[in-house]
Amino acid sequence: MNNSKLDYILKVRVPVTIFVIITAFVITYYVSRPERDGIGYSPEQPIPFSHKLHAGEMNIDCQYCHTSVTKSRFASIPSVSTCMNCHSVARKNRPAIIQLTEMYEKNIPIRWKRVHKLADFAYFNHSVHVNKGIDCAECHGDVRNMDVIKQVSSFTMASCLDCHRNAQLKLTYISNVKNGPENCFACHR
Amino acid sequence: MSDNNSKKYWKSLRDYYNPEELKKIKEDEFLEGAVDNVDLMSMPPISRRRFLALLSASSAFAFAACTNFKDKGEIVSYNKKPEEIIIGKANYYASTLNCCENTCSVLIKTREGRPIKIDGNPDHPINQGKVCIRGQASILNLYDPDRLKSPLVKTGNKQYAPISWKEANQSIVNALKNASSQNKEIALIVGKIKSPTTLLTLQEFTSKYPTAKIYSYSSFSNSSKVEAWKEIYGTSELPSLELQKAKIILSFESDFLNTDGDLIDQIRKFTSTRNVNDLKNFSRLYVVEGNLTLTGANADYRIKLRPDLQKELMLGLLNELLKRTNSKIVLPNELNVKIAATTLNSVIEKHKLSRDVIYTLVDDLIKNTGKSIVLCSNAFGKVENILALTLNEILGASNLYNFNSRYVQLLPENSKDELKQLVNKLNNKQVSVVINFDTNPVYDFVYLDFANALKNAELVVTLSEQKSETTAFSNYVLPIHNDLESWNDFQNRSDLISLQQPVISPMYDTRQKESVLITWTTEENYHDNIYLNKLKSHWQKEIYPKFSSAIDFDSFWYSALHDGFIQLTNTNVASPKFSLKTFSDSQSQKSSDFILAIYPHPYLFDGKFGNNGWLHELPHPITKVVWDNYGAISPSTAKKLNLENGDVVEIDSGNKKLQIPVFVQAGVADNLICVEGGYGREECGEIGKDVGVNVNYLRSDNSTSPSIIPIKISKTGKKYNLVTAQEHHSLDDTFVKDFHRKRKIIQEGTVKQFEKDPDFIQRERHELISIVHEVKYEGVKWAMAIDMNKCIGCNACVISCVAENNIPMVGKEQVEKGREMHWMRIDTYYSGTPDEVIVSNQPMLCQHCDNAPCENVCPVSATNHSPDGLNQMAYNRCVGTRYCSNNCPYKVRRFNFLDFRTEFENEYQYQEPLNFLNNPEVTVRSRGVMEKCTFCVQRIMEAREEAIRNGKTFDGSGVYTACQQACPSNAIEFGNMLDKNSNVSKLRNHKLAYYVLEETNVKPNVTYIAKLRNINAESV
Repeated sequence: MNNSKLDYILKVRVPVTIFVIITAFVITYYVSRPERDGIGYSPEQPIPFSHKLHAGEMNIDCQYCHTSVTKSRFASIPSVSTCMNCHSVARKNRPAIIQLTEMYEKNIPIRWKRVHKLADFAYFNHSVHVNKGIDCAECHGDVRNMDVIKQVSSFTMASCLDCHRNAQLKLTYISNVKNGPENCFACHR
Repeated sequence: MSDNNSKKYWKSLRDYYNPEELKKIKEDEFLEGAVDNVDLMSMPPISRRRFLALLSASSAFAFAACTNFKDKGEIVSYNKKPEEIIIGKANYYASTLNCCENTCSVLIKTREGRPIKIDGNPDHPINQGKVCIRGQASILNLYDPDRLKSPLVKTGNKQYAPISWKEANQSIVNALKNASSQNKEIALIVGKIKSPTTLLTLQEFTSKYPTAKIYSYSSFSNSSKVEAWKEIYGTSELPSLELQKAKIILSFESDFLNTDGDLIDQIRKFTSTRNVNDLKNFSRLYVVEGNLTLTGANADYRIKLRPDLQKELMLGLLNELLKRTNSKIVLPNELNVKIAATTLNSVIEKHKLSRDVIYTLVDDLIKNTGKSIVLCSNAFGKVENILALTLNEILGASNLYNFNSRYVQLLPENSKDELKQLVNKLNNKQVSVVINFDTNPVYDFVYLDFANALKNAELVVTLSEQKSETTAFSNYVLPIHNDLESWNDFQNRSDLISLQQPVISPMYDTRQKESVLITWTTEENYHDNIYLNKLKSHWQKEIYPKFSSAIDFDSFWYSALHDGFIQLTNTNVASPKFSLKTFSDSQSQKSSDFILAIYPHPYLFDGKFGNNGWLHELPHPITKVVWDNYGAISPSTAKKLNLENGDVVEIDSGNKKLQIPVFVQAGVADNLICVEGGYGREECGEIGKDVGVNVNYLRSDNSTSPSIIPIKISKTGKKYNLVTAQEHHSLDDTFVKDFHRKRKIIQEGTVKQFEKDPDFIQRERHELISIVHEVKYEGVKWAMAIDMNKCIGCNACVISCVAENNIPMVGKEQVEKGREMHWMRIDTYYSGTPDEVIVSNQPMLCQHCDNAPCENVCPVSATNHSPDGLNQMAYNRCVGTRYCSNNCPYKVRRFNFLDFRTEFENEYQYQEPLNFLNNPEVTVRSRGVMEKCTFCVQRIMEAREEAIRNGKTFDGSGVYTACQQACPSNAIEFGNMLDKNSNVSKLRNHKLAYYVLEETNVKPNVTYIAKLRNINAESV
């Protein structure tokens, strides 16, 4: 191999290859980031429950079903009996409601697909945020217009801190809002 | 510098004799070898269970690869959510535990229907929010994977097959009927009965089957005390003691702070007299004992005397007191003769006791007549207890008896003779059916050879939660409910009845033991409420009418259930009069050369909790030995017999021999070997099987005090590995380069010294300057204060921490390497000489230092400081360099060298349903992470959440750490130090407040209140 060819390889080919690899990696990393964070994830649920219909068109309050959101860490998924409060009367002839009624009577719980998930070592507390007046849509998006529930924001530590550090910018509708805690024990223990 | 600071403290006998040997341990971060052998390839070969786990995990991975990577699992909501449950919020239920005869009233914390922690019932007048170590650890028994899960029938030698309840009941009822018709005895062996409704059930059973006879016993009973009381006062109901009014307490071998009697009540009342802000009523504790017990460790004056010789001291004291007081007590002649023959001087000379101490004691007793009390151990026979009661009568201790709250005797215990007769009857085939009602007589009566006697019965039925020595000799083994699955009522005191309610539905095919008896009695079909109905009807008939209240029974019942107990109206009982008619001392006078004393184990007690790993792993309060029992002997006896720690000796009681390793413990009387029971279970679950030695072998069946036995002892030459955590995590007290003075870890004084010179502690402190910018804290800053005058060193805080913070068991081998995981420990320091030791305990936990040295060295900033003064530990950030632990002067950081949940006993801790026990608010740590005390940050966050919900500023009130909540003497205070009115900030500014290793300028946030010893001296 003559020197000029080696020179060409070292000066052009190797850097270009490395550049292409790094660029490809960086682009893929950033482009796929939302997908890897689960944004847009909207699995098919065992009962085709529509938030758009219930929360949007019928304007049922979120807390009618997610009862513990102001009391506990968890917003909680309603029990079948909550559905039956209305559906023991309403729309009894729809196939999904028939299925629901059957589950209720046979005492079978519904196995909902989980859409929003934080890591196990993060102890997010719904009640603290909701009681401060933060809107559910801040993290969960415009649920009132979702037929099938979908993840819209990323649930990473970066997105938590984004809001904790810039509360006044993000939560303009709460007067005198202070930044959230940033210390480890606020979420991890 | 005053004298007390030049005083030498030592951690162990090795430290006393060869401090150089311990120097390395004190200087180093870990014990030698702790960091070795963590490579998994060198661990024991893969177990079957591990292999299956790996197999299923790898196949799960393979499937996962084919599925959607976004899948986040499922949320399974309730079908019909019980109204009282809020997901993520704990519910609390009042109930009662039947761990021992004190039947503590408790508050059980449940999350989503699973009990996760037991604490005392705060409203109960005796418990006041506290429960002992066994009570706290009993939650582990509920989830023990080794529980019996269905009825079993014997099919061959030690072979059992599952059987349905119906079939088992049918053949048992047939056998019972046969026995009745053939006029053969049915022996119903029960423990101490503390439940009125259980008693009723037993009585109904015996009236249906007239040949049935109830045998009631307990391994460490107070029957000698009851008999003595009965002989003098004519009743068998002992009064409760008003120890809080006592000025002088004299204990004869009675470990009333750890094993003897109504612990929670006694600890609280005793420690309330150790209030440094009320020196006038500061009590003085004299302990006469052979073994070094926790009570002796807390004594102001400890008089070392072998248990069998203490009777002479009692007689000597009686002699002196009768001479010096004008007591008009009438004693029987036999006793008067004995007393006259024993002068106090002769006792002092004979046993080489300290004349000063004994005469100070006599002066104190006389000076404080009406305020002094003598306590006598259950281990003694009737004679010693009679002498102690006579002393009390002369000293006017009846002032301290509370007859409104007496200890009731629902069913008197059977004497040892009656039990011996049962064995004879069994051997003569006079007994056809034996029913073990949640008892384990084969283990307890091993000295009577009960197992062989059982073979002569036609049918043996055992009702038990777990496999036991007795189930191995039973034809039918019937699994029963845990306390947390049962209904019942309990009465220990005459003025209180408490209720037990289930907090979880039965986990297996088990039944409540009382309901099983009911089905045998009435032959009705079993249903879940069979015993509840009986309980309710009993209450409706017997208890509800006593209240003549306006509310209906259902409201009465639910309110009692809610509170967990009811208080009966006081019926004023006239205090019975002292009258001792006769006195006979059948015990032979000749003293033996060597004595064995058997005590209940402070944690395992009689062995019923043998499969409870938390209790095995909790270091013994004195010796810090884990996972074993041993014979404690004094250093000079060890020298005489040429023994050292771990040498196995053979104890020969005349008819039985037993081999046991010895532990050389400073402070034990000479020619005495002290062994604690509860160990040596041969048949139980995986955890407790063959751990330690069953000392019941050596109990004698004819001695009047069955726990104090003359023996012969000989060295076998064998060695056994005893593991003690005493030297683990020793703080470095060697000379520091610049300070040229001893680091002060323990600081103590005397009451007189404090009265004369209140600043004696503060003068020792010096101003510390900082060259760096000091952080200003606003709002809330957390701090803890521990009052060493109240702390008795019982370890209740440690077990509470274990339950709250998901701390794993690691096993004996790992503890030996110094890898125990407890976030909190009780350090024991000795001073004085090995013969006359003075014990100082000190709870040690993360001090959450303002200038925490661990924080600066973490390369990944996994540990750092929070704005409210907590030293935080983010597990998910930790990479396991262990620099922090290396830099911690208090040695309170714990490293997960292994995933102990996997490595310990075949993944025992990962077995279902033990995972239900975990506190869902605390992360379960994995291998390679550092962990430490968090000041129960989950509880802080819960209180903060509550404040935000109510729109209040969080002022830091209402947060209780797990250790604080469990401390039976309220020695621990926790709170906001910036709040001037909080208890913790008051204690921080107390004259007796000091910080451990303050001169290192790490600014710790745990304040210790120096212990005051109430001795006649101006320095310790």
